[in-house]
Amino acid sequence: MIEQKEGLNTIVHFIKDNLFAWVALFGLIFIGILNQFNMGENTTHIFKNIAWHVIGFLIFLICVFKVDFNKVSPQIYLFSYLFLTLLMFILAVFKKRWLVIGPLSLQPSEFLKIVLVLLFSYMVSKRRGLPLSPKDWLIFFIILIIPLLFLVVVDLDYAFIIGGMFFVFFMVLGLPKRFVVGMTVGVLIFSALLAPIAWQKLKPHQKGRIYGYLAPEKYYKTWGYQLYQSLIAIGSGGFAGQGFRQGWSTRLNYLPAKHTDLAFAVWAEAFGFIGVLFFLSLYGYLLYWGLTLSQQVKDLFGKYLIVGIVLILLWQLFFNFGGAMGLLPMTSIPQPFLSYGGSITITTYLMLSFLFNFAKRKSLFK
Amino acid sequence: MNPKKRYNRRPKLEDNRYADTTELEIIWKRRVFYVQILLFVILFLLIGRAFKLQILKHSYYSKKAKERAVATYIIRAPRGEIITSDGVVVATNRAVFQLYLDPESIEGEEEEVLVKLSKILREDFGQLKERYYFAKKRYFGRVLLKRDLSWDEVSKILVRQYYLPGVIVEVESERYYPYGEAFFHLLGYVARIDRSEYQKLKSMGYSPEDYLGKSGVERLFEEYLRGENGRIEVERDAKGRLGKVLDRVPPKAGKDLVINVNHKLQMTAYELLKDKRGAIVALSPKDGSLLALVSSPAVDPKKYLTGFSPEEWKVLMSDPKKPFLNRAIQPYPPGSTFKLVTALAGLQSGAIRDPKSSVFCSGSFPFGQKIFRCWERKGHGSVDLFKAIAQSCDVYFYNLGLKLDINFLAKVARSLGLGYPTGLGFPDEKPGIIPDRAWKKKRFKEDWYTGESIVVSIGQGYVTTTPIQMAKAYLVLANGGYRYQVSVAREVRDKNGRVLKRFEPILEGRVSINPQHLSWLHEGLKQVVEIGTGKSARVPGLQVYGKTGTAQVVALERKRANLEHHAWFVSFAGNSSIDIVTSVLVEHGGHGGQAAAPLAGELYRAYYGLPSQRKPKEKEGAEEETLEERPLEPLLNLPPVEERGAQ
Repeated sequence: MIEQKEGLNTIVHFIKDNLFAWVALFGLIFIGILNQFNMGENTTHIFKNIAWHVIGFLIFLICVFKVDFNKVSPQIYLFSYLFLTLLMFILAVFKKRWLVIGPLSLQPSEFLKIVLVLLFSYMVSKRRGLPLSPKDWLIFFIILIIPLLFLVVVDLDYAFIIGGMFFVFFMVLGLPKRFVVGMTVGVLIFSALLAPIAWQKLKPHQKGRIYGYLAPEKYYKTWGYQLYQSLIAIGSGGFAGQGFRQGWSTRLNYLPAKHTDLAFAVWAEAFGFIGVLFFLSLYGYLLYWGLTLSQQVKDLFGKYLIVGIVLILLWQLFFNFGGAMGLLPMTSIPQPFLSYGGSITITTYLMLSFLFNFAKRKSLFK
Repeated sequence: MNPKKRYNRRPKLEDNRYADTTELEIIWKRRVFYVQILLFVILFLLIGRAFKLQILKHSYYSKKAKERAVATYIIRAPRGEIITSDGVVVATNRAVFQLYLDPESIEGEEEEVLVKLSKILREDFGQLKERYYFAKKRYFGRVLLKRDLSWDEVSKILVRQYYLPGVIVEVESERYYPYGEAFFHLLGYVARIDRSEYQKLKSMGYSPEDYLGKSGVERLFEEYLRGENGRIEVERDAKGRLGKVLDRVPPKAGKDLVINVNHKLQMTAYELLKDKRGAIVALSPKDGSLLALVSSPAVDPKKYLTGFSPEEWKVLMSDPKKPFLNRAIQPYPPGSTFKLVTALAGLQSGAIRDPKSSVFCSGSFPFGQKIFRCWERKGHGSVDLFKAIAQSCDVYFYNLGLKLDINFLAKVARSLGLGYPTGLGFPDEKPGIIPDRAWKKKRFKEDWYTGESIVVSIGQGYVTTTPIQMAKAYLVLANGGYRYQVSVAREVRDKNGRVLKRFEPILEGRVSINPQHLSWLHEGLKQVVEIGTGKSARVPGLQVYGKTGTAQVVALERKRANLEHHAWFVSFAGNSSIDIVTSVLVEHGGHGGQAAAPLAGELYRAYYGLPSQRKPKEKEGAEEETLEERPLEPLLNLPPVEERGAQ
C-alpha cells in the first residue's frame, strides 16, 4: 500500500519535474501522426503508422516504468550484440539491407546502434569514471568495427554515419586527445591517398549521389532528382507553408520516398518555416533536456547511455534534415517521428524510454 | 598526473560501488556541455538552411514548383472573320483536330513516339521525323505534327493515349478561306508565328503557338482580327496526369472586319484573269473604296497552314509566273494610259488651248538624230485632242511632250497620286517612278534630255506606275479632282454585329481641274470606247470611259522569250454619275484594246448585273472549275466563344 502510494507520488513528481519533456514528446508524437495524414491518399500508411506508434508507446511505458537498468543483466547487451552482428553478417552475405519476416521488414543496424550504446555505456560505467586504458579502447573499436564491416557491404553511407557517430561518442567518453588527433589525421591522409582510387571504384550510383548533391539542378532528371524535388518542396513551403494536405509536391507525387526519407520535406512544404521551427524546437528541446539530464543523473551508466542516445537522435536529425535540404549528401536515413516505418518508430520510443527512465529515477532518488 | 599510475589504481570490475568523485562530475559536465554546443550548432545550421530555402529563396522554388506542377494551356482565340461589303464571309475559321507533340515531355524518346505515330497515321517514319525536327527548330512551343486529323485518326490516337506520352489531340479553330486563290493577294494569309517573330511580338501578348497575319488584309488589320488568347491552368502530377483546373481565362474572339470589296466583282475579276498574268483593281470614285483587287496567278492560302512540301515550294519559288507577287501593287510602264496625264498637263499648262487644234500624224516624229514612231505606222493624219486620245496617237503626244516641262508633267502626275503609295497600306506596295530633273540627277547624275520628255509623255521610258495607282489617278479624273486614299476596310464589328470602328474615307487632296478641261478629257475617254482603241470594253446601256495602253517590254527580253507587250486598260463607268473605276493589266497580253479592254467590259457587266458577253462554253467551263475549287462548307462550325458565353 505504502509503496504504491509512493509510486503514484513519484509518477506525479516525475511528470511535474519534466513537464516540458513530456509536452515535447507528445507534441512530436502528434506531429508524427499528423505528418502521415498530411501525405494524403494512402490510408494503410496512416493506420500502420498509428499502430507502430501504439506498439512503440507501450514499449516506451514498459521500459520507463517497469525496467530497472541496474538489474538488467549486461549479458543481454552482449548477446543482443552478438545476435545482431551475426544477423548482419548473414545479410551481408546475401547482400540485403532489410530483414524480411513475413509482413515486417526490419533494419538490424537501427537496433545495433542502441545495443552498441548500451554496451559501451555499460563497459565504461564499470570503470567508474576512471580513464580507460588503450587496450579498452582497442576492444571498443573492435566491437564497433566488426558489425560495421558487414554493414559496409550493403549500406556504405550508414556504416560511415554510425562510425562517425560513435567516434564522437568515444570522444565524449574520454577517448584520449592523441588518439583523436592521430585517428583524424590518419583518416584524412588515408582518404586523401585513397580518394582517387576510391573514386574510380565507386559504383555509378554512388558517384551520381555526389553529383546530385553538388549540382541538384543540373542533374535534376537523374542523380539530383530526389534532392531537387526535396528542395522545391521545402522552398515552396515558404514561411507559413502550403497548408495541411495542400502541398503540391506531396499531393502530386513529385516527392520520392515521401513517407520515409523525405518525410521532412512533406512537413516543411505543408507547414513552412514555422512548422520546421516548431519541430526543431520540440526535438531540440528533448535532446537538450536529455543532455542536462545526463549532467544531473548520478548513475554513471545512465550518464553515458543518455549522451549516446542523444547523439544517435542528433545524428538522425542532422543527416536526414541536412540531406533533404542539400546541406549534406542525401542518405537514406529516416527521421524519428516524421518518417514512417516500424524499425524507426520502435527504436525511437525505445531510445526515448531510456531517457525518461533515468529522469524517473532522478525524481525517485531526490 | 602519471596515467600509468592511474591505471594501477583501477578498481576491479566486480566492484559495484560508484566512484564518488566531484572531479568526474566536473569533467563530465564539461564534455556534455560540448555536446550541447554541438547540438546548438547543428540546430543553427538546419534552421539557417531552412531559412535560406523557405524565406530567402521561397519565390524561386515556388516558381519552380509551379512550373513543374502546373500545366498551362493556351486557348487560342478564334480570329475575326473578314466579310465583304455585300455580306460574303471570305475568311473564317473552322474547327479541326490538330495533332501536337510536346517536345519537353517526350525528350529522349522522340523516335519511339514518332514510330508509333507513323504506324497510326500510316505515314513514312522518315518524313514524320523530318517534319518534327524542322518544326521544332523553327517554332517555339509544341510541334504541330499533323493538322486536320480525320475522325478515324483521332479515335486511334485517343484510345492509345496512355502509350503516347506528349501526344496531344486538340480541337482548334483554324483559318479557312472559302474562296481560296481568288482572295489570296487581297487578304493575304495567316501562318504560325516563327521563332524570330515570336521574340519580337511576345510583349504584345502573342503565344508561341499563335497564328499571325503575314500579308495583305490579314496583316494590315492584325490588331483587330486577332483575339485575346485564353488560358487554362491544370495541375499536373509527377507522372504527367492532369488534375484539377486551377484557373481558367476564356479567350476573347477577334473582331470581324468588313471590307469595301465587292465579292461578286472580285470573283469576276479572278475568273477573268485565270490562266493569265496580270492584275485588276477596282475603286469607287465616290470615296476611294477598294472594290476589287486581284492578281494572277495566286497561291492557295490554305497551303500556308497545311505546309508546302519541299518540292511544291521549289516549284512555286522558281515559277517564272511568280505567283507570290501581288501584281496590283507592282510598278509597270503605264504605256498609253499615261497619255491622259500628259493631256491634263497640256491643258493645265496652256499648251493645249483648243482641243480642236490638230497636229498632223505621218506615223513618225523626227527629233534630232532620232525618229520616234507612232504605233500606227501609216499615221493618223490630222489629229486633235479627242482623236489623239481615242486613237492613242503617239505623235500628238510627242508634240505635246516637247512643249511641256518635265517637272510640270511630274507635278501633274503626282497631283493624281502617281509616284506615291495609294494608301492601301500593304507594306510591299511600290511607289513607282515619276521622273523629273531632280530624280534623274539623283538616279543617273545626269541632266534631263528633252528627248526623254517625249518618251515619258506616252508613258514609256523611266515612268512606271502600279495598276492600283493608275486606278487611283483615273479616280481623280472621274470624280472631278477628289483624290481619295484607297481604303480597303469599312468597319470593325464585334461578334454581335455591333460596329466598333468605322473607317471613314480619307480625302488626300483636292486637285483643281477646270471643268471645261475635265469634260474634254471625258469626251476623249468616251470616244476611246465608242470609236477608238477600246471598243471591246463597250457595254450596251452603260457609258464607259477608258484608255487603252500597250506598255513595251524591254526589247531584248521580249525577243528572247517571245513575249507580248503588257496590255493596259484603265477606265471608269456610270450613266448619271460615275460609280466605278477599274484598272486592268494583263502581263504580256498584247494590245490593251484586245487583251485588257474586254475584261473591263466584263467587270462592268458583272458590277451592273448586265448579261455577260463571254462565250457560253468558256463560261460554263469556268464555272464548273470554280465549283470544284470551292471547298465544302466547314465541317464543324463552332459558335464563337463569346457568343456561347452570352447565351
